[in-house]
Amino acid sequence: MRTVNVSLDELFERRQYRLQQGEKERLLTAELAALTERHRRACPGYARILATFPPAAEVRGIADVPYLPVALFKTHHLASVPDEEIFKTMTSSGTTGQSVSRVVLDRATADLQARALAAIMTTLLGPRRLPMLIVEAKHVVGRGRQFSARVAAVLGMASFGRQHFYALDDDMNLDRRGLADFLGRFAGEPIFVFGSTFMVWQHLVQQLAPMEADLSDATLVHGGGWKALQAQAVDNATFKRTLLDLTGVTRVHNFYGMVEQVGSVFLEGPDGYLYPPNFADVVIRDPATWDEAPMGQAGVIEVVSALPRSYPGHALLTEDLGIVHGVGDPATGWGGRRLEVLGRVPKAELRGCGDVYAGQVTAS
Amino acid sequence: MTTVRRLLPEAADLGVADLLRDLATARVAPPFNAEAMDFCADFAQRLRREARGLPEAQALAFWMRGSGIRRLAADFAELGSDGCVLVPRGTALHIPPANVDTIFMYSWLLSTLAGNRNVVRISDRAGEQTTLIVDVLAELFRAGHHPGVRASTAVVQYGHDSRLTDLLSAACDLRIVWGGDATIAEIQRSPLPPHATELTFPDRFSFAAFDAAAYLALDDGRRDDLARRFFNDAYSFDQLGCSSPRLRGGEPAAAGAAGRDLFDRLAGVVRERDHEIATSTAIAKLAYTRRASIDWPVGRARSYGSRLTVLPLDRYADVRGEFCGGGVFFELRVDSLGDLASYVERRDQTLVQFGFPADELVSLVRELNGRGIDRIVPVGEALTFHRIWDGHDLLQAFTRRATIDLTEAHLT
Repeated sequence: MRTVNVSLDELFERRQYRLQQGEKERLLTAELAALTERHRRACPGYARILATFPPAAEVRGIADVPYLPVALFKTHHLASVPDEEIFKTMTSSGTTGQSVSRVVLDRATADLQARALAAIMTTLLGPRRLPMLIVEAKHVVGRGRQFSARVAAVLGMASFGRQHFYALDDDMNLDRRGLADFLGRFAGEPIFVFGSTFMVWQHLVQQLAPMEADLSDATLVHGGGWKALQAQAVDNATFKRTLLDLTGVTRVHNFYGMVEQVGSVFLEGPDGYLYPPNFADVVIRDPATWDEAPMGQAGVIEVVSALPRSYPGHALLTEDLGIVHGVGDPATGWGGRRLEVLGRVPKAELRGCGDVYAGQVTAS
Repeated sequence: MTTVRRLLPEAADLGVADLLRDLATARVAPPFNAEAMDFCADFAQRLRREARGLPEAQALAFWMRGSGIRRLAADFAELGSDGCVLVPRGTALHIPPANVDTIFMYSWLLSTLAGNRNVVRISDRAGEQTTLIVDVLAELFRAGHHPGVRASTAVVQYGHDSRLTDLLSAACDLRIVWGGDATIAEIQRSPLPPHATELTFPDRFSFAAFDAAAYLALDDGRRDDLARRFFNDAYSFDQLGCSSPRLRGGEPAAAGAAGRDLFDRLAGVVRERDHEIATSTAIAKLAYTRRASIDWPVGRARSYGSRLTVLPLDRYADVRGEFCGGGVFFELRVDSLGDLASYVERRDQTLVQFGFPADELVSLVRELNGRGIDRIVPVGEALTFHRIWDGHDLLQAFTRRATIDLTEAHLT
């Protein structure tokens, strides 16, 4: 079986965020169209869907690639590899009672995901591994065949750092002494700080005293969603300003990604927009027609990725709303579509005579 | 002391025992007494004014107008005789669904007309229309014209609280529970007094059947009118009402052409009415229809934007169960209406039909012999309430029969 084709290699080898959008779309469209055919042959459920909802005969652009609603992975086992080739199963970190997504990875897809993350992170952090501060308790990062998205993110990112320091103790309190030791040891050196947006806010920002930690040489990468912080009226600007005032950190990069497309991480550029790497992109769809929305118009976010080989997740309609604000200039180091994520699609008030099913629009 | 929030007759937090004691002092009134009839008509009049632009509330107001009530009174009179007097049951406890704002009003008002005292439990998730209805009633009670109805009515609001349901259930003579199935199961854990009866309205499924030849015989104008009526059947309550059709059948002769024509026109009505579907519903529809294509023998879908999707079934499949609403139809061709019979289940409530002769419809019902389908209605009437609902004559269910045998004792 063919694993990686020419366009994918090129998307990896070219410097991230430096491709002209037109060239990127040509390479990506070819790769995505090939993936559609691959999954159609290998995944019977996917083939059934394409038979019922036939895609455009000619794939002229990314928006012509057939996409699946991400919730499908909560109810249906969609695999394009036989069971014995399943290397691990990723699950979303849904809260109790919610169904979780299950995405199966074979070795090739898992390798591509690792390679993808490396391409993104080395573009951001440089080729050398940096001392790494992880805003998480060590015991949370357990082991197992099934990984939650939060744990998977930490494990995935840990390989871009060295001398890892977990900033929280088992009770989720800040380990102040350990933190002071760590920062003292690497004073004046670039360090890498990683954690979920919520953990960084709740367990670092909320517990730090002003100037207790000097992070002016740090690069902070965080993600996982703003839902919990929206409730506290904390937006990205507030988040960054508070962190700057408290720690002096200037390089703060939010990321946007999901367990159904691990490795295809959108990274926040200096202008606050999220940028897809070379091998991924975004389409905003108008929920009234499901056609691609014009640039600048809010709609439902579809993410595409050239990575998923073992499951038909190369084009997924999320349950998030967003806007694409034009295309960045590759010459600045941040090329590609500029995505703003507006948050979850609000749940409709469902009516009817019965216990109406509302389970399909849930957090992942 | 267990307290409960009472919304009507006036808002108060009070002990359940006090609430029930107050209610017990109210008179159980004779069925179709003048005050109860006035009350319903006054309510309908005010609701019509207050609920502009809300079609379901308008339908309720229309149903409860003076002439409608007089016809109900006449129907009711026919149920009894000198030897058989219909008398109220006493206290009725109504547990309406959280998500349909008006349907419970029909049973509540019918119960009021029947003379019962009524306790209505409103969910803490109740929607806008419920709030509107409660406001209209509050205003009506404040005006003071219906002291008897006022004294015999209590509307309470609470979430999942089995203690409250226990206390209210123990004090009622009749309990009316609207589904879903899970809600009914939960409510039924609260015991009723030994003499009390219960009416339940669980989750249901509905069909629509069109005779293809009869459809194709219509001119353009009539086809458009039929599509508009079908729109009202299907798109009210976002297709989530228990009587909203989601499976339609048709006969094979030219059925393909008829089905395409009908749904093309329906799509036109959807556009014309500018029927909006919430984004979350549109996404749920995408997921539902893709799941359907994996799970059932669905042929090539016909999609009309995100507001209408037709999934043709190559053969019958049980597509009941969880549903997303918002304009998804399964389409199945059958040779005759009788072929539908083998697929019908207890859960099936309404058959919306067009073009079938009366004798075919009657023989379908006789063949089913109670296995399913409680009502057959013409296109456009799926959500029109009738005093006979889910197989129960509510006027009978809300009363009991006292019989008087007038024959003389045969003394020897």
